[in-house]
This record gives sequence, structure tokens and C-alpha cells, in this order.
Amino acid sequence: MTSETLCPVLVGTSGYSYTEWVDSGFYPQGTRTPEMLNIYARSFPIVELNYTWYQMVRAEAISRMISKAPEEFLFAAKLTRTLTHERDRNWQQEVKKYREGIRPLQRQLTVILIQLPSSFDWSRNNRYYLAHLLDSLHGFPLAVEFRHVSWVRDSVFAELEKRHVTLVTVDAPPVRGLFPCLDVVTNPDLFFVRFHGRNKQGWQSENIQKKFDYCYTDEELQQWNEQYLNPLRRNADRGVVFFNNHVRAQAPANGKFFQEMLLQ
Amino acid sequence: MDRAIIHLNVTDFAVAVERIGDSSLRHSPLIVASGIAGKSRAVVYDMSEEAYQDGVRKGMSLQQANRYCRAARIIPPRPDRYRRAMAALVKGVIHYTPLVEKGEEDGHLFLDVTGTHRLFGPAPDIAWRLRKQLAADLGLDPVWSIASSKLVAKVASRMVRPFGEYIVGAGEEHVFLAPLPLSMLPGLTAEEIKILQDFNLHRIGQLAELSRRQLLVPFRKRGSYLYEASRGRDHTAVRPVPEKGDSFSVEHIFEEDTASYTEVEAAVAMLVHGVGRSLRRRNMLGRRLKLVLVHADGKKSQRQVGRKGGSDNDFVLRNMAFGALGQVWGRRVRVRSCVLICEHLLPRSPQQALFVLKSLREEQQEKIITAMDQICSRFGDGSIVLGNACEVRV
Repeated sequence: MTSETLCPVLVGTSGYSYTEWVDSGFYPQGTRTPEMLNIYARSFPIVELNYTWYQMVRAEAISRMISKAPEEFLFAAKLTRTLTHERDRNWQQEVKKYREGIRPLQRQLTVILIQLPSSFDWSRNNRYYLAHLLDSLHGFPLAVEFRHVSWVRDSVFAELEKRHVTLVTVDAPPVRGLFPCLDVVTNPDLFFVRFHGRNKQGWQSENIQKKFDYCYTDEELQQWNEQYLNPLRRNADRGVVFFNNHVRAQAPANGKFFQEMLLQ
Repeated sequence: MDRAIIHLNVTDFAVAVERIGDSSLRHSPLIVASGIAGKSRAVVYDMSEEAYQDGVRKGMSLQQANRYCRAARIIPPRPDRYRRAMAALVKGVIHYTPLVEKGEEDGHLFLDVTGTHRLFGPAPDIAWRLRKQLAADLGLDPVWSIASSKLVAKVASRMVRPFGEYIVGAGEEHVFLAPLPLSMLPGLTAEEIKILQDFNLHRIGQLAELSRRQLLVPFRKRGSYLYEASRGRDHTAVRPVPEKGDSFSVEHIFEEDTASYTEVEAAVAMLVHGVGRSLRRRNMLGRRLKLVLVHADGKKSQRQVGRKGGSDNDFVLRNMAFGALGQVWGRRVRVRSCVLICEHLLPRSPQQALFVLKSLREEQQEKIITAMDQICSRFGDGSIVLGNACEVRV
């Protein structure tokens, strides 16, 4: 396989505003929160915004954030938890707010990530909800990350393909019932990879610091590249890869290695 | 390192607590009112969001509130229950940080989680987990906000209440506050807002454009606070919850609301004796006295006075309490009750007498206090009081 037939890949991390990345040396000592994005952008061309999962996006806050990044810098934004993990009957109102809030980002937005909880299985109600959610976010580039194994079905992949929605490829610990790592491309415009780390014990804990505490070895990433990334790159025009193992700045360390590996 | 302050606010706290205990209260507007229903002194202590939307406000007379929201159910407040709920709230969050500051049975908690990221992760994740945990364990659903100071976090919570969350990034305090109306800035009195409006200033950002010198003219000492607050600067620390037993309080409720300074002063003097006696019984010294005046409209004014080394001497404590009264007195609204809180208790050192030479006056005072304590032990509290406490109508 020659590099000409492989699509370009942008590498970044899930979130950038971590105080512990100062302690761990990714950010220079004394870096304050407002300065982080600008410094981050010197190492990576894209970031996945995960604070948008915790709080509903607000246009004014998004505008302020964009102003701190270079013009060519790109973003992926997570969908708010009130539409994935804690949804209620008024979810359509939440979609409306999200659409309005994310608008200033549109020019630099690569994709909206819909990360569904592990309890979200392939039930009739959930399928119905997901279809409506995708409809209501029509017009935005979308990617769906399943956590439940029951979604591994050709019919699901075919539907995503029909809607031009990206199926997220995940690298996670080998936990029973978890959606597996697949090299399926459902949207030829974009593939989307998330590295969560392989800390099996931490994954089952409630503590985010344990869940994402993992450092990939160079060999693991090289092997992953050959097994999964190359097939993905052959079937899409562009790809994004995010490292979510943020603890002790392992994500940017792995991300930097991954970038170098792709250049070779 | 930028500070990370989480503000958790259970809106309409008394209502939320009452609704946990009695699910039938969830289906209609609810007013919690102190005083006797039907009497003019009954005022609104708290109200549900539905009643608020109908125009009911805290401190409003119950008669008026009833006219605004006829469908409301009315129940008396149960401060003990709210205190217990606050204690449960603190217990639910304390393992994330020892720096937890709580309000007085009002559902407000501030947590300083600066530097805890290695243990628990980023502040938004902590706040989200706390909310989830409090909802599951206590049935309370707080608004949460994160900012670099208590002041900005409080404003952020006000922006989203009764439900939601708000994260104000460090360094964004000024731009966050600028478009908001002056009434959103904590600590501003109605009179100060009126003065600012007379200058045609209506937004916090407009206030922030004024220099310290400009603010000094109309606001004197307060100008400095307005200058800092309008820029989102607040360096006050999150004061941890005092350890159990580190404070106690005594209260006097006036038979009729009063505007007489002498009457309130006499009540305070009587409370001082209760505080002093309690300290002596515990063999402790009090280092801070906080005086809270509860007004007829339900609002509270409070001031505190500290004394290095502490004291259990009624005469010393009385001077401290009167000092606080002198500072807090000023609202032109009648006083309904006063509460004297003794804080920062210190064990009395048995060796103190070896090193401190007492004046003749102090020795006389001690003899008087000892005699008063003996009389009170025999004939009950209040059987003898200091001279200026006699004017209290009991």
C-alpha cells in the first residue's frame, strides 16, 4: 500500500483544558487556562470539545473560544449530555439550543460527536430516538459512538451510511458488552477514531481519573495503525483521531507519537 | 493556578426539602410562610417556582402572596428539617474537598476544588457527578456552576436557575459579567443600584468602566468593592464548614416587630449572657460573635466581631455584640428577631491564670458573672440579667 492511496488524518485529543497537563509538562509551567488553546494548537490541528457534553453550548462562549485559536484550527464538538445520557421529554428544545449555540463554530466544525451511554442498547425506543435525533441535527456533520455491543448490525451500518453519518471507531478495554473496535466506514467523507485507553479495571470504576489512565506503547499504536487505520484510510476522504486518555497528559504524548508515525 | 470554585444551588431549598418529604406538594404551587396564617405578620419564607412566576417573593406578606397565587398550598417552615438537609448536602460533597462553604439552610454550597484534578478529574466532571449523586441520594437537583471565584460562580448560577449549569472559563469573568444587569451583581443594595441608574448606568460592564476614583465619590468605602466586583475579581476564600460543635447560637424573637435600637440592644445583652454561660459550661472561649437581625420583610442583616484569644466574659462579649449591633443597625425596616452566633470556639487553657495578671475590674466582673451563673443555675436562665437587658419585653 502506498501513502498516495491513504487519506489524510488529523490527530488531536479529547479536551485541552486540563490543569494536570501543566504539571505533566505538556503546557509550560505557569500556563493559565485562557492560554491553553493557543499553546495546544502549536502541537495539534484539531481538538474534540468535551466540555460541550457537560453544559449546553452557548454562542457567546464558543465565539470567545474560537478567538483564542488560529483561524485554520478545527474542532469536533460532543453533543450535550441532556441529549444522550440524561434526556427527557423536552429534548427537542435542547436540540434547538444546541443548534443555536454551536452556530459560531460552523466554519471550523469538523463533526458533532453523539456519544451514547453503555445503557443505550438496540431497543425499539432507542432506535426511534436515535433516528429522530439524527433528523433533528440534519445539516451538521455527525458521528455516532455506540457503547453497547447490540448495535453491531449490518442494518445499523447501512442506515448510518444512508444518512452520511460516521460510525466512530473506538479503542477501549476488552470489556464484555462494549461496542467492539471495527474498521467500518459508513461515511466516505470522514472516519472518526477515539482512543480511550485500555485500563480495564479503571473503566469499570466511576472515577474518570482511573477510567482514562492508560499510556499506549509505541508498538500498540503501530499495530493498531496496520490493523485498523489503514483500512479506514483507504475507504474515506479524511479522518480524525482523538486520544481520550487525558490523565497525566498521556493523550498528547500518544497523539504526538501517532502524528509522527503517520508522517513516516 | 486558576482557582476552580463550584457553586451548587438547590433552588427554592425549603420547598425542595418539603416536596421530598411529601410528594403531594409537588402537584401545586407551594408557599412556605413563617408566622401565623391570616395575621399580618406572616411573611413568605420560600416559594416554589410556580408561585414565583405568579409574582410571589421572599419576605412578601402572606396575604399579598395569597392574592398573587390563590392556588398555592401554604405550609409553615421547618428550619430544623432544612438544617438537616443542609448537613446531608455537605456530607454528600465533603469527600471531594475539605473546602466546602455552606449558607444558612438556603441550599447554597461553594466548593473549592483547585488542585484536586489528579484525584477526581476536571472540575466540570466533579460538579456533574455531585449533582448526579445528590439527585440519587437526596432527591435534590441543584443548579451547578464553575468559575474562578465565588462571586462569578454565584452570578453564573443565577443565570441558569432553576435548572441547569454554567461554566465560566478563567479569564472570561469580565466579558461574562459585562452584558448583565446590575441587579445580577451580588452584594449591591437597592440604594446603590438606584444611584448607578441615576448616572444612567444599567449594566455591570458600564460600572466596570469607572475608575476607583470615580466610584469613590458617590460610594466612599464601597467603591472599592464595586470596582473589583464589576470586573469579576473576588479573592475571598471558600470558608470550610466549621467542625461539629465549633459554633452555637441563641435567638430572641420580639413579641412585636420593633424599630427601637434600645429594645434590640437589650435583647442582645440578654443573649450575650446566654452565650457566656454556655461557653463557661463548656469550658470554652468564643473568638467570634455574629449578630443576625431578621427584619419584618424576611431579609437578614448581619455583622460579626472577632477577638483574638477569645473570651467567655459577659462584659467582653457584650462589647463585641454591641459593636456588631452598631455596624448592622441601619435598615429602616422593623426587626422581628435577633440571633447571636458564637463561632471559632477555643478550649480554655487551664494554665492561663499563671501568666495573665487580671485587673481589679476584671476580678470584680468575674465575681459578678460567677454569682449570676449560680443564681441562674438555681432559678433558671433569665432569672438575673445585666442591667441593660431589662428592657426586653418577655
